[in-house]
Amino acid sequence: MKFSARARTDLAGYLWISPWILGFLLFMLLPVGLSAYYSLTDYPVLEAPIYVGFDNYARMWREPDFRDAALRTLLYAAAVVPLCTILALVLAALLCAGRRLTGFLRAAIFLPTLVPMVAAGMVWMWLLNGGYGLINQSLALFGIQGPNWLGDGPMVLCSLIIIAVWGVGHSVVIYEAAMREVPVSLYEAAALDGMGPVARFWHVTLPMISPAILFNVVTLMIGSLQLFGMPAVLSKSNEGADPKAFTFYTNEMFNQAFLNGQMGYASAMAWVQLLFVLALTGFTFAISGRLVHYRGG
Amino acid sequence: MASASPHDGSKDRPQGWTRRTLLGAMAAGAAGFAAFGPRGARTRAEGRIVLDYWEKWTGHEGAAMQAVVDEFNESQSRILVRYLVTAGIDQKSMIAIAGGDPPDVLGLYNYNIPLFAETGALLPLDEGDGSAAIPPLEAYAEAIRPLLTHPDRTGRSRRWACPNTGGALALYYNKAMFAQAGLDPTRPPATLEQLADMSARLDASRDGLYTRLGFTPTEPGWWPWAWGAYFGATLTDPSARRARVDSPEHAAAFGWIRQTAARLGPERINAFGSGWGNSYDSINNAFLAGQVAMVLQGPWLASVINAHNPDLDYGVVPFPVPASIAQGPPVGLVESDMLCIPRGVRHPEASMEFIAFTQQPRIVERLSTAHFKNSVLAGVSPEFVAKHPNRGVAVFNAVANSTRGFHAARTRQFPQIRSKMGSLFPKVWNTDTPVEELLKGANAEVQSLLVLEHEQKARRGWGSGA
Repeated sequence: MKFSARARTDLAGYLWISPWILGFLLFMLLPVGLSAYYSLTDYPVLEAPIYVGFDNYARMWREPDFRDAALRTLLYAAAVVPLCTILALVLAALLCAGRRLTGFLRAAIFLPTLVPMVAAGMVWMWLLNGGYGLINQSLALFGIQGPNWLGDGPMVLCSLIIIAVWGVGHSVVIYEAAMREVPVSLYEAAALDGMGPVARFWHVTLPMISPAILFNVVTLMIGSLQLFGMPAVLSKSNEGADPKAFTFYTNEMFNQAFLNGQMGYASAMAWVQLLFVLALTGFTFAISGRLVHYRGG
Repeated sequence: MASASPHDGSKDRPQGWTRRTLLGAMAAGAAGFAAFGPRGARTRAEGRIVLDYWEKWTGHEGAAMQAVVDEFNESQSRILVRYLVTAGIDQKSMIAIAGGDPPDVLGLYNYNIPLFAETGALLPLDEGDGSAAIPPLEAYAEAIRPLLTHPDRTGRSRRWACPNTGGALALYYNKAMFAQAGLDPTRPPATLEQLADMSARLDASRDGLYTRLGFTPTEPGWWPWAWGAYFGATLTDPSARRARVDSPEHAAAFGWIRQTAARLGPERINAFGSGWGNSYDSINNAFLAGQVAMVLQGPWLASVINAHNPDLDYGVVPFPVPASIAQGPPVGLVESDMLCIPRGVRHPEASMEFIAFTQQPRIVERLSTAHFKNSVLAGVSPEFVAKHPNRGVAVFNAVANSTRGFHAARTRQFPQIRSKMGSLFPKVWNTDTPVEELLKGANAEVQSLLVLEHEQKARRGWGSGA
């Protein structure tokens, strides 16, 4: 059998990427398909799955633990996405405007994103210790009695939001890069029109970096809705605290799958999470049409 | 500077080698490595059967268990046990068993047994080659025995595990603080009423802030589901079909917690105890630091005391119960670490032989001593008590041997029930919502878990007696 030169080139290309395709099929598509099937079954992991239709999906709405975890996660995302976005924009603008120490400040802002999550969790665990933590000890210097950060529900949520904001460096770097790409001529034209720095930021910078904002908001939103590691680490160090305070959507899903042997139910939770994230992302892209400006687009 | 052509690299290759032959050689090498490369110790070890033993312990606890494994490996030449530390052991072993590649011996927690036994993930220890060497139930402490058995899907009670270490809970008290407060250190509280009186006398504050507490149920607060048991309550009925969280005994227990919170002031006490969360194994441990005079803990606290405050003069007594039920054997939570054999192992008789080896009294006592724990056996040697690093070990042994020793509910739903009780406690402690209302809500949630369990069992053909 003879192949044309084009076919041989194509075949060689497919052969080169075949390890990735194989990996994708085996370790991504197959598990996704299996989880869709398991979500329709009663599957305790240690026994074979039994088909139950949409029982797991119906059960979700009856479960108070599901509602609690979903609500806690939504609150977290609702706080983290705008807070991190605004702070990252401000820091990026300051870095762009700054003349001295910008390299040091950029590194200082970005550094937290390089710390492994578990290591960061251990550090925060001690920083937030109500009695001996650096934060409350510092507040005490000003006569303020700090709260028990990891002791009760609302404060645990606040602590996790603070930790998320601490890791804002990744967004800052992207925003700063986008801001440096804005043509100087636009700022000059705006200045000639009499715009001050704030007006220039609002009317020139923000529209010009809006694709970067969209990217960051979407990734931040997805990451926030999938929060798992940090509460899992912090809960291990606070065994006496309310366990629900550290249980976010993905933690609840993990507990159901691997602690309670409810893999079918956990798979249904995973699919609800995926569909919700997809819908939210789609909605964000839909409304972004009028707000995001692509150069040349 | 001359730019390098992509083809210039060919000059470095041996003459006649093309990219294709290089890739072919690499692929052949990889295939050869996969086919004939080194293997794990399972196929080596000089003809011995190799067993993988998954256990959760690290540090001094892991070293003590490793010493037991080493002694077993040296005691015979047929079997070689490899001790493998595994974090999240219940979760990982679940996947390993389901995937058909389980460890040969598995160290679980006692509350894992119902789920693993009911789903056929474990081999029973009361049948098959080697089972004769497994000690009978009577060899173990009274409160340990129920943890070793569980009904299979036919309703027959089977033996699924052997304990290697265990822990009971009791009350530690600081003798020096008792003396300072004018209390007799030789007469610690024997009833809950006495505990409350003594606790109030031990409380100390300055400028409205606590400097010391006699006793608080929030330190360490690790067993919020267990308070009812000190009042005679159980979380479910014996068949684990009905939740009993709203029983009068639970109402009394959580009523006592609400009263304690009201007396101490939850906000003041939460502020005072805000540093206790992750300070257990440190000098800042509330009991070691003198912030609380009495604490409910297991025998393992002695390892923290010996490491950080060895001069602490402490005593241990069974945790007090209400005067109305104080007469009788001691009451206390009893937990145990379990040795099990997962289904699908290649050499169950070899696994059984290793487990039987670990159950010898001298091994149990040596391991328990190294772990600072009480014995899981019905009887202990005088040396065990005399040489144990916890001066109160006799009390912990007594609780483990008590007919009123209690344990985690024997249902696969226990982890979820524990979580729900963990959420109930702060509501009782911090809010004004009537206790009965909170218990009713928690009971409904626990009941729905039990209903779910029985629906799932029915789906799998479990009989009504299951």
